[in-house]
Amino acid sequence: MLGTLAILACAVPLRSIFVATSGDDVDLVAVGLLDWITVPYILAGAVAWLRRPASRLGPLMLAGGFASGLSALQLTHVDGLYTVGGAFDVLPAALFLHVCLAFPDGMLRSRFEKVLVGTAYGAALGLQLLKMSFGALGPHSLIELSAQPDVVRVVQHVQLLSLSAICLIGVGLLVSRRRQAGRPRRRSLALLIDFFALGLVMIAVLFIAGTFAMPGFLAIQRATLAVIGIAPVVFLLGLLDARLARSAVGDLMLELRADPDPADLREALADALRDPSLTLAYWLPDFEAYVDLDGREVELPAGNGRTATLIERNDGHVAALIHDGALDDEPQLLDAVGAAAGISLENGRLHAELRARLEELKGSRARLLEAGHKERQSLERNLHDGAQQRLIALSLELGMLEQKLGDRPDLQSRLDGARQEIAHTLEELRDVARGIHPAVLSGHGLAVALESIAARAPLPVRLTVDLDTRLPDRVEVAAFYVVSESVANIAKHAEASVASVLVSRMRDGVVVEIVDNGVGGADTEKGSGLRGLADRVEALGGRLRVWTPLGGGTRVQAEIPCA
Amino acid sequence: MRVAIAEDSVLLREGLARLLGEAGFEVVAQCDNADDLLLKVRSYHPDVAIVDIRLPPTHNDEGLQAALDIRSQHPSVSVLVLSQYVELGLALKLLADSAEGVGYLLKDRIGDVEEFVAAVRRVAAGGSVLDPMIVQTLVSRQRPDDPLARLTPREREVLELMAAGSSNQGIASSLVITVRAVEKYVSSIFGKLGLPSSGSESRRVLAVLTFLRS
Repeated sequence: MLGTLAILACAVPLRSIFVATSGDDVDLVAVGLLDWITVPYILAGAVAWLRRPASRLGPLMLAGGFASGLSALQLTHVDGLYTVGGAFDVLPAALFLHVCLAFPDGMLRSRFEKVLVGTAYGAALGLQLLKMSFGALGPHSLIELSAQPDVVRVVQHVQLLSLSAICLIGVGLLVSRRRQAGRPRRRSLALLIDFFALGLVMIAVLFIAGTFAMPGFLAIQRATLAVIGIAPVVFLLGLLDARLARSAVGDLMLELRADPDPADLREALADALRDPSLTLAYWLPDFEAYVDLDGREVELPAGNGRTATLIERNDGHVAALIHDGALDDEPQLLDAVGAAAGISLENGRLHAELRARLEELKGSRARLLEAGHKERQSLERNLHDGAQQRLIALSLELGMLEQKLGDRPDLQSRLDGARQEIAHTLEELRDVARGIHPAVLSGHGLAVALESIAARAPLPVRLTVDLDTRLPDRVEVAAFYVVSESVANIAKHAEASVASVLVSRMRDGVVVEIVDNGVGGADTEKGSGLRGLADRVEALGGRLRVWTPLGGGTRVQAEIPCA
Repeated sequence: MRVAIAEDSVLLREGLARLLGEAGFEVVAQCDNADDLLLKVRSYHPDVAIVDIRLPPTHNDEGLQAALDIRSQHPSVSVLVLSQYVELGLALKLLADSAEGVGYLLKDRIGDVEEFVAAVRRVAAGGSVLDPMIVQTLVSRQRPDDPLARLTPREREVLELMAAGSSNQGIASSLVITVRAVEKYVSSIFGKLGLPSSGSESRRVLAVLTFLRS
């Protein structure tokens, strides 16, 4: 079939030569320009039809090409051909509109678009015939019934103005469609749609200029024909782009042989597919979910111009390429890229799985810590509201009793002894409670809680707390233990004469720094409790660093994020 | 003397009311939360409000906040804060502006009825009371080049009593010495620590606290 069409396309210039030689006053530029439209449309239509037989776009473009080819016949001096050419004079404009709106699958999307295109055909062909029957094309037209120039002028105005209005509405539709697409579509596609819009605008301008017999009509006409002729060229370039892309699979394979970092894989695939919006999702069977490279769950797109192409390897899902819906037209390319990237995607999947498990572990560690913290808090509360209050009330009762026993010193001293005993018990309970959870911390914040640590330390501790607001509970608790544990370490091991504690805000969290001027060389792994502190800080997504050169003091720094 | 009590444990609240009632105080209000206390302080204007530092609903800083509110809104009402833990940071917060008519005691102290009642009286009369435990923490705090080392043991005792809010009379009877002797010690201490000698006893508390804290 392609052969037939090629012959037909080649026949167009032959026909033009025939047209050109058939008379001596033929406008050769006009003939050339009409061919400039006819040939690309026929060729592009043929290729489109061949590559996507299911799409109606190919036949539509072919029809457009032939219509413009036929309209060139009005330049001949043979009455029959002249009449046919005249009838097709305006039809290419309607066909062009149809192609623009039906791109890329050849279907009009809404009832409104169908009505619009139908009206365009009516105006382009129906009104044209009406015009001709009233003698618009002069005596050489075979279908002239009577010559009525006034009627012709009215019909012509109605025809051209309505067509230019329709074309402008079409531009509006294209613009809104491009807006809805949101993110940048593939470049060649965007370019094509821009050309469509430009072509429609120029047709509208042309018709308006024709209606009002504006000067420079000829120049506008030629420019319009030139632009309309470019659209199929861009279309062909787009197809060619896809072919180039397929050759990019070779480059991709070379690149993948170098075993790129999973983070770079996306770039390589996006380049090969020429879709900068491409993202990757890896399938984790244990989680039954698609995740990104950082292990966060992602939803596969459903509609909305995005499509997911699933990549399978020997034993099931590996990943999904999430790309622009326009790539669906190139299934072979997607298959080739998917196959080329198979092993690298498998690597990426393992990476993502590791990250997902790590995240899960981090989450569970933080939850465990949080649960422990909550439990300690409620234990301390129970102790405070229960045993401690009762003992105090008991002590009060004994005290009042003691007062009443004015003249019984023996009993008084026994009661006093009992009160002392209660006082000791309360003291012990207080230490236990403090060990379980520092209530002053949740009640009054870091600055207040750290004041006592600094004051009770067996060495001078300079405390600077630079916070203007309270921090989340778990962050305060971690910071508190970092300070109390570090100060205890300094007292035990550092032989320091002075220490300082600095608590300050960082971007999204808090920095706690404890510095001493002791012997340094602290054991960061066992015994010193530093390991436990690091665990506590890391569970909150923070980090604990220790500088402890021999003889150079020790600096403990914890960064704890609040998020 | 008129007193308001805010304490969420019924056992303790009623115990306190009974104790103070028997000691000759008029208990004008008993509350179990901070809002109620503020309301009753506004209506009854007691001489002193005794406030548990941990009050509902969150048992965090409601009690302390109520105490600070009373101090700023009703300067004529003294406040005695009770707590199961005494924290230097809280004492500093409570006495940030002035030590007049403020007290902060460990709850355990109410078992020693006589001393507790004396403390309530002192605070109600506009004096200051600071728990010995806090004074201890402050005095024994390690300082580079410790200026307290220059004090004699006796002067240290006097300093501690001063910091706890005792008057010269109170110090004299605690140490069984004359008021004149106390005055001598006080001026010697102020000289050694380089503090300007200040008039009232509560201002003296603040000066000593500020010194000890730094």
